[in-house]
Amino acid sequence: MHIPDGILPTQVCIAGYGIAGGITWGTLRQIRKTPDPQAQVPKASLLAAAFFVGSSISIPIPPASVHLVLNGLLGTLLGWYAWPAVLIGLLLQAILLGHGGLTTLGVNAVMMGGSALIAAQIFQLRYRFPALLHRKWFLGTLGFLAGAIGFGLAALIFFGLIIFTIPANLDRVTEQGTLAALMIAHIPLLFLEGGFTALVVLFLYRIKPELLES
Amino acid sequence: MAIAFHANIYIRGTSPIHRWAVRAKVLSLLVLIFAIALVQHLVLIPWVLAAVLLLYSCSQLPLAYLLRRLPYPGLFIIAMVGLLPWVSGETILWQWQGLSLRLEGLQSAFLVMGRFLAIVTTSFILLGTTPFLDLIQALRSWGLPPLLADMTLLTYRYLYDIASQLGTMQQAMQLRGFGLHQKRLRRQWVRRQWEWLVSLFGSLLLRSYEQSQRVYHAMRLRGYGQLTPPIHPQRSTLSPLAQQSEHLITQVATSLTLTMATGLVIAEWILTYP
Repeated sequence: MHIPDGILPTQVCIAGYGIAGGITWGTLRQIRKTPDPQAQVPKASLLAAAFFVGSSISIPIPPASVHLVLNGLLGTLLGWYAWPAVLIGLLLQAILLGHGGLTTLGVNAVMMGGSALIAAQIFQLRYRFPALLHRKWFLGTLGFLAGAIGFGLAALIFFGLIIFTIPANLDRVTEQGTLAALMIAHIPLLFLEGGFTALVVLFLYRIKPELLES
Repeated sequence: MAIAFHANIYIRGTSPIHRWAVRAKVLSLLVLIFAIALVQHLVLIPWVLAAVLLLYSCSQLPLAYLLRRLPYPGLFIIAMVGLLPWVSGETILWQWQGLSLRLEGLQSAFLVMGRFLAIVTTSFILLGTTPFLDLIQALRSWGLPPLLADMTLLTYRYLYDIASQLGTMQQAMQLRGFGLHQKRLRRQWVRRQWEWLVSLFGSLLLRSYEQSQRVYHAMRLRGYGQLTPPIHPQRSTLSPLAQQSEHLITQVATSLTLTMATGLVIAEWILTYP
């Protein structure tokens, strides 16, 4: 779910870079407030690489299979580091695979990274309820919400940008119909992202809970 | 895995584009890329493509390099604009049963695909003629925060390593029976596959995390986090004559590329406000 080069007008691409620059500044400020920011750099980098590689895993939904976006899960595990991880992941995808693009890097980062940061905040809600902190159902629910909302927001931004900026003479009815059809088609994927995120969160909680304590 | 086929993005060479100073090259080609993204008139697309192909031929990159790298992103753009000629516009060019091929949609699709082809080819010229580390160094000299530079280098360094680990884990899973289709137990089969895939991805995260701890300790032992070394421009090992020739190439290539970009912006302006 990346917007390739050539689709968006330059003004939107530049606005994307502007917003991404602002978020980068804010995120790095938050990261610098942590006790030892550099200690997390290798962890964030290698997990970013693992997400980059892991997003190629096909998930079976008979009769087809899909690739997950996993930005919600990235947010749950990396917190504020999710933003630089997404930014770098997108840059490497554009450079190595030509997937996404250099002009749309800012827009794609806002779409994927912004929603990963929101997913991170959703998963951080667990600290507001100390009594439920070690309940599996609670962690699973927050994991599901983080995964589903992370994906859902990214999909909303993606389709919004595509429908409203594509240089075509689409009539209003076609435009609304296409938008509705695309939204409906992505609802099952929303549950799928949420479900997979919840299952991975519970797996990590069982095997290595410290990984969730970012 | 797609990434395995794209390991060699940089191709060594002695072309003028290879010898173009990195910072000037990155800046000029990025300006050109954004100027191409600005194009809204189909009539400019052949000129844009001609200019980009001229640059590509100057870079002396093999045609196979472009052909190998284009299909993957190309499929996405076709999937995105493939519907336009059938749903957008009023002038019908061809009709069969319920399908109508429309002129305006076709023009929009060609415009988007032309821009995409030109931008992607320009990116390949930049990446094919510039080592990745030089790119990061150029970005660092323009103020890229050290944290982002460190993360980029570490992610890039361990990407292929982790991809190889995932390949091994997937092979091990298949040897243990993953992917065997049991028609009668379809529901259990899907559920079991999900369990396996969650374990696979979870294990990949765990391995990466444990490896990151080892990498961090090794980096600390080598002084990581103690001092941030200043960035010194690399001292050239070239002879004065070769340095002069590189300087000339940089000046000519930068001027030509920026002229192309300016020309595109002016042409677009004239066509929009005649």
